[in-house]
Order: sequence, then structure tokens, then C-alpha cells
Amino acid sequence: MKNALFNRWLPGFTLLAWSAVLLTYYFTGRISAFLRPGFRINVLLAGLAMLVMAFCFIFLAGVANCCDDERCGHPLGRRKLGRIVTFLVLILPITAAAMFSPTSYDATAVINKGIATDASGLVRTSGTRLPGPAASADDPSEPPLPTKDGSQPAAQAAATPSTDAADQYLPKSKDGNIEVQVIDLLYAAQDSSMRADFDGKTVETIGQLMPDDSHNGTGNRFKLMRMFMYCCAADAKPIATLVESPQAPAAAEMAWVKVVGKVTFPVEGGRTIPVLEATKVQQVDPPEETMLY
Amino acid sequence: MSWFSFHFSDFALSFLGIIFEGIPFLVLGSLMSGAVEAFVPRESITKWLPKNYAASIVVCALLGLVLPMCECASVVVIRRLIRKGLPLSCAITYMMGAPIVSPVVALSTYVAFRGQNPLEMTLLRMILGFLIAVGVGMAVRDIPADKLLQPEMLDSLPGRRRTGLSMAVAGDDAEMAMAGEGVSGKIFRTIQSATADFLDVTFFFIVGAAIASTFNTAVNQNLLVPLAENPGLSVVVMMGLAFALALCSSTNAFIAVSFRMFPASAKLAFLLFGPVFDTKLFFMYGAVFRRWFVMSLGIGLFIVIALICNHLGLILNI
Repeated sequence: MKNALFNRWLPGFTLLAWSAVLLTYYFTGRISAFLRPGFRINVLLAGLAMLVMAFCFIFLAGVANCCDDERCGHPLGRRKLGRIVTFLVLILPITAAAMFSPTSYDATAVINKGIATDASGLVRTSGTRLPGPAASADDPSEPPLPTKDGSQPAAQAAATPSTDAADQYLPKSKDGNIEVQVIDLLYAAQDSSMRADFDGKTVETIGQLMPDDSHNGTGNRFKLMRMFMYCCAADAKPIATLVESPQAPAAAEMAWVKVVGKVTFPVEGGRTIPVLEATKVQQVDPPEETMLY
Repeated sequence: MSWFSFHFSDFALSFLGIIFEGIPFLVLGSLMSGAVEAFVPRESITKWLPKNYAASIVVCALLGLVLPMCECASVVVIRRLIRKGLPLSCAITYMMGAPIVSPVVALSTYVAFRGQNPLEMTLLRMILGFLIAVGVGMAVRDIPADKLLQPEMLDSLPGRRRTGLSMAVAGDDAEMAMAGEGVSGKIFRTIQSATADFLDVTFFFIVGAAIASTFNTAVNQNLLVPLAENPGLSVVVMMGLAFALALCSSTNAFIAVSFRMFPASAKLAFLLFGPVFDTKLFFMYGAVFRRWFVMSLGIGLFIVIALICNHLGLILNI
């Protein structure tokens, strides 16, 4: 009976629990806070595979005789304490994490990871709307990226950097402001042709509010921060553009805010950085996908 | 700002990120391992290896080019290959080489380092990863298996006396049983072997992921930045980071490149050390190898990679 518990029911239950967590996160869409789109299908496939494995373990008694053998190769399977510890470790951390995990980091983790205010260490990925600095004017062979409405490709427009053309291909909000992501402004700061597209224009973007301690001589700046994910939440890196606002924003640290303002690219500390001169800072609900890719 | 501040919610987000990214590859590795157990006869494992020892080590170091495997999955697979009779040194060579010498890793490194000598960094990573795998394979050549393997692994090696058929091992009895099985029987055995391997290795993966997530979210990484100014120290710091962060080998180049204040030699050290020895691998290796070997492997790799990258930094001025 004891052997059946350890060799059949506990492994089966463990696999079922893992499968439930993976499939729940996938089908509820919560997976978007943890993995970039290309990796999410792996979670579905792994969840289904675990489900099949669990059913085989539970319903086919003949296959569930592992670790009865004295020469079983599983080091933790041969001692009762080892078996109990194994299943506790397999079940408890993922259950606790799944129950209490938020969809975004809090301020402590953001500060511990270090906030980047330029794109020199970032790589362009699919989530951006604009060509990255290494791939725009320098590399005309790069394929164009699709725009939000599927009209003129961004890279094509970047090759003819007239501000009129830029106005046509950059997506606009209903108020007529150019809609950008924080990452777009960081990339633009690295490339003169892209800077021309934005410099002096009124844009709107969203992010999380963070105080600015390093570039804030006048005391009226804050950081507009987003998490930039390469593959999973563990490797997500905080990135931010600076915002100058005549009034202190009426929102708490890490609150989601929409900023409308004019884009400038001052040189500070030998680096060209984007600074938004805000005309409006408004608290908003978090976006559906809190991470940028 | 204190150097350590733990919040469970941040830990949970990072922990689940690593789990969701890594578990599918562990399942894949387990299923492949199970399929090897059920479908591949022992004699065919060694048939394709060159007779010359050095040549077989070289082949295994390059095997990742045709059988790409991340570091988590490769540990699961080599457990099974060792039980199936693959020479231990060849298995260790594959385990060291596959997470670096692979088309997926080469592509991700090239893309990540665009604008920062991508070809040079990619070639250095591939060539040095290959040489390190060959070096480790050669170094363990004359060490007896009973000095390297955990007793449980050793007992399950082919040719050892066994008391009965176990789903987890492929000794003589299992080989005989396999010969008489139908396809459905083999499929069931694939699943049972995969399940046992998965549960066993996932235990160590979870422990490693928990430690990595604690470091990732609770330790103030800004404190490491001043160390980047010293070339020698920067290499050591980046290798320590690679160990602590336990990132997947196919994606760690994107993180390495974001440490823009560190020299290229330190980033190279990060890219070489992390895929072969990090927190999760420390525990996962422990499921196969004796503790002294795991410790020696880690210390040896650390010293060799640090020396290589320091010298390259001086010679190539990177």
C-alpha cells in the first residue's frame, strides 16, 4: 500500500498538478506575464504531455513500479524520507508561486535589476514598432517591420527620413498624438535618422512611474519604466525614459501612467537620452501585456 | 539601498518564468530519454562512434550541431545514454558541448551581439565551447566510472547484476525485455521512463531555479557595476553572475549583452561558463555524478574559462 502511494499515486498526482498549472496559465492568458509569445506554445505542449504521462501513471498500474527495484537509478526514490522530500519540493514551490505570483515586479526587484535609460545594451525584438539602431540606416538589408495598421513598413519609411513621411507611418492615438513605447524612444536616441522622426513631436506612451535619482538636478523628473523581456520574466530588464513634469505626478511609485509630451534628446553625461517634456500625466489601468518584448 | 531585500511576489514571478521556460525542455529531454530507453538497443548506441578515442570525443563535442539540446535536457539524456552503454567520457563531452556548440545558440549569440562584433563573439563562443567540451572529455578519460557516478547510477550500468526489471534502468534484463516487446509496450516504457526521469531531474531543477530567482530579484545587482572597471575582476564577476542567474544557454547572450559596462572578455566568460555550470546544473549534475566530481568540475571550469577569457581580453583587446 505504501509502495502504491509513493510509486503510483504521488507521481501521478504531481504530474497532474504540474499539468494543471501549466494549462491553466496557458488558457487563462496569464502566461503572457511570464513568457514572450514564441515560447508560450511550449507550455501548452508540455502541459498536455504531462497530462498523458499522469494518466498513464495512474491508470496503468503495471508502469508504476519504479523505485521498488533495489537497483533503481533514482537517488531520492530509495529512501522514505527522500521520497517525501522529493514530492514536497516538486509540489509546494510551484503551487505557492502559482497562487501568489503577480503579473509584474514590484519596485524593489526593479531597482535590484537596475534600470537602463539607453538602448546601448538592448536588442531589437518583435515587440518594437521601429527598427533598432544597429539595423536602420546602417543595415538596409534588414526586413521591414510591420506597422500597427499594416500600412507602410517602418524600415522603408526610416530609409527616407523626412518628418512628413514619419508622420504618416507612425501610429496615432485618437487625440492625434504619436503612440510610442518606451523602448522606441530609447532606440530613437541611438540613431540620428530616427531621432529626426520624433524630435519635437508630441507623443503619448504608458509605463510605470519610478522616481529618478540620477538625472534629476531640477527635481522635476521621474522615470517612465517598462519591463523588457527577452524570453521569460526572469530575464526581464527594466528600461525607462525620463519625463520632465512641471508638477509632481499624482500617482504612487510603480503606478501605471499615461504620459503625453514633447520628445527631446538632450546629451547628458556624454550620452544622448530621450526626455519627455510632459504636458499631461494621467494614471491608467495596467495594459493587457505588462511586459515589452 | 540594502544589498538584499526579498519579496515573495517578485521571487514567484521570476521562479515561474524560469520554470515555464525550462520545463518544456525537460519534458522533451525526458521523452527523448524514454524513447532511447525503450526503442534503442544498447549495441547501436556505440556503433556509430569512431573507434579512435580522440575522434569519438571530438564527434560527441560536435553532436549538439545535429542534436541541439539545452543544458537541462542534456543532463536527462546523458543519464539514459550512460545506462545504455555510451562511454562515460563521451557522454560528459556531449553534456558539456551541446548547450554551447549548437545552431540555436550560435544564432542567438549572433543576433544578441549585433553591432558589437557579432561574428567574432559567436565564433569565439562556439570554438571555445567545443575546446572546453573536448578538454573535459579527455580529462575524465582515465577516471573509473565508480569514482564519477552516483552509486545508484553505477548499479544501473549494463553488465551489472540486477535483481529484477526496473523501469528506470536499462541493464541486461531490461534489454532482454525490450527485445520481446511490441510497439505499445515500448511506448508505455517510453512514458514510464520519461516520467521517472522527469520527476527525478525536476527536483534539482526546482532547487536551482529557486536559488537563481532569489538572486535575480533580491540581490542588488547595481553593486556589481563598479567591479566592471577591472578587466580581471570583471571576468570573475560575470562568471559568478552566470552561475547565480542560471539562464538558459539559448537566451543568455541577450542578458550578457545588456551588461554594457563590462568588457567583451567578461561577457564571453559569462556565455561559456553559464551553460556548463550554474546553480540549477550544480544540483542536476548531483543526480548523476558524485559530489566531489561536480565540485571539481565547477572549480576546474571556472579557473580555465577565467584564464582563457582574461588572456583573450589582453591579446585581442576585447
